Amino acid sequence: MDLNFTTFVFQSLHGLAYGMLLFLVASGLTLVFGVMNVLNIPHVAFYMLGAYFSYQMLLWVGNFWIGLVVCPIVVAGLGVLWESSLLKRAHAGGHVQEFIIGFGVLYVVNEAVKWIWGTQDLPVPIPAALSGSVLILGRVYPVYRLFILFFSLLVVGFLAYILKKTRLGMTVRAAVSDRDMVGALGINTPLVFSLVMGIGAWLAGMAGVIAGPFINTYPGMALEILVDCFIVSVSGGLGSLLGAVVASLMIGQLYSFGIIFIPRFAIVFAFLFMAVVLIIKPTGLFGEKT
Amino acid sequence: MKKTTRNLAIGLVVLVILVFFPYISPPFQLRMLTEIIIFTLFTLTWKMMLNEGGMFSFGHAAYFGLGAYASVLGWLHIKGLSFLSGVFLGGLAAALVAFLLSAFLVRLSGTYFALLTFAFNQLIWGLIWKWRAVTGGDDGLGSFPKPDLLGVAMKSPENFYYATLVIIGLCLFLCWYLIKTPFGNTVMSIKANEERAKFIGIHVNTTKIIFLTQLGFFAGVSGALFAQFHEFICPTVIDMGRSTNVLFMAYIGGVGHFWGPLVGSGIFVYLSEYLSSLTDRWEFFLGLVFVIIAVFAPQGIAGIIKRKR
Repeated sequence: MDLNFTTFVFQSLHGLAYGMLLFLVASGLTLVFGVMNVLNIPHVAFYMLGAYFSYQMLLWVGNFWIGLVVCPIVVAGLGVLWESSLLKRAHAGGHVQEFIIGFGVLYVVNEAVKWIWGTQDLPVPIPAALSGSVLILGRVYPVYRLFILFFSLLVVGFLAYILKKTRLGMTVRAAVSDRDMVGALGINTPLVFSLVMGIGAWLAGMAGVIAGPFINTYPGMALEILVDCFIVSVSGGLGSLLGAVVASLMIGQLYSFGIIFIPRFAIVFAFLFMAVVLIIKPTGLFGEKT
Repeated sequence: MKKTTRNLAIGLVVLVILVFFPYISPPFQLRMLTEIIIFTLFTLTWKMMLNEGGMFSFGHAAYFGLGAYASVLGWLHIKGLSFLSGVFLGGLAAALVAFLLSAFLVRLSGTYFALLTFAFNQLIWGLIWKWRAVTGGDDGLGSFPKPDLLGVAMKSPENFYYATLVIIGLCLFLCWYLIKTPFGNTVMSIKANEERAKFIGIHVNTTKIIFLTQLGFFAGVSGALFAQFHEFICPTVIDMGRSTNVLFMAYIGGVGHFWGPLVGSGIFVYLSEYLSSLTDRWEFFLGLVFVIIAVFAPQGIAGIIKRKR
């Protein structure tokens, strides 16, 4: 394919849109790992539930925006429930037990979704206000992708504000750097854990809602993004939001341009990237903890 | 002493049942038992990595799948490659890759170790999936020769069952023996306290690399036998699903128990077979079982039985 300037811009925009979506999902995963030292496998199930709930809301209410507000909150509630009922019990058993119970829950949600909504792709229409397209450099570009970009940026900004400027954010950052010390200082760490899990699930649910019109809603979507999520949060550095931003944008561009230059091996390069980062710097590009 | 006697007694009973099983069972059951035995070795290598070596692998399918692909490519392209040489080739290929990868792996621990094994697993999976010219990609590799073993036709399910039983039995014995050797003690001492092991002069990384290479070999052997069992392989032998399955099998059975892998792979194979004949959504119930096991029986089924006694 001939690569002129316009194509270049468009491919990078495509990559940016997917990269930002990936960031929304991976940021929750990396946040939860940073605070709780748990690789939260069901995280991607929350993403999928966000997408399916939003589809259901469209059927009931017919308004995308109500879904965008309500669904992530419902998913966040499920996240807190999962943390306080099941994950807590597995915590003592170490990483392997957390993996087992996590995959168990992921399987259950994955199959329950097929039961309730069927196995076919569910087309989610783009909301009317965002259904058009704009002209960029003489080519049409769907408005919805620009919306994904700006909306994700908004969420990133909001997250950064909470983390840097509020008391909750301060506690979370302190817990990332030394969990036990925060507990010793008399802060209610179980509550912080539940809150962080809630925020993580809220982010994943949000990503699911806006992913619906972008890449459809289908039963395999959780497992598909799980792998990308691992790549992003690990190579960016588990626990580091900055790392997640950088890595997800890189992966977005890799897929977007990989389709042009190395159509068959783009996915292989993503894994190679992850492996090389882990070999050179096991804590990831921006991770600090070992 | 008493424990050894008891284990020996259970072993004898299990052995007798296994030897006479083809005479009393329908062919369908025999097929499942063959699969269970193959998975037992695969699960044991994962279990040993965690229980004896203290390393959590989330990419164990890499060795299994490499063993399968290497042996099948051998049978396809090397004229007159015998049954045993093919299986051995699969084991060697997996061991070689395990050796190369473990040089990077041993520097990490905990979650990061698991994630690097995952990355390597996915990398190899991606290469096999996309390298159509050699591996057949999505279409997989089928119709490869099934050579006789010492003049015995492997095409008969009973003969293949006995061959699997002997080969896997030998491998299981070697694995068990490995732990009893001074080398096995060294491995376990590293798990118990890596720093102290270093202080008394043990080459920690070298020991781990040797251990991982050995386990890679046995996982590769089980993969090669699995390929001959199915007479067809495709990238699912090496994908993430297989790596999670081995986790499940080891965990259901009980990671800390000698009979864990056999119990675990038995329950897993029967459960998935039974559930999938009942409903299309069988993974729902499988997931439910994992959650229940993880919450109520973290020591696995073998752990429950032991506690009852």
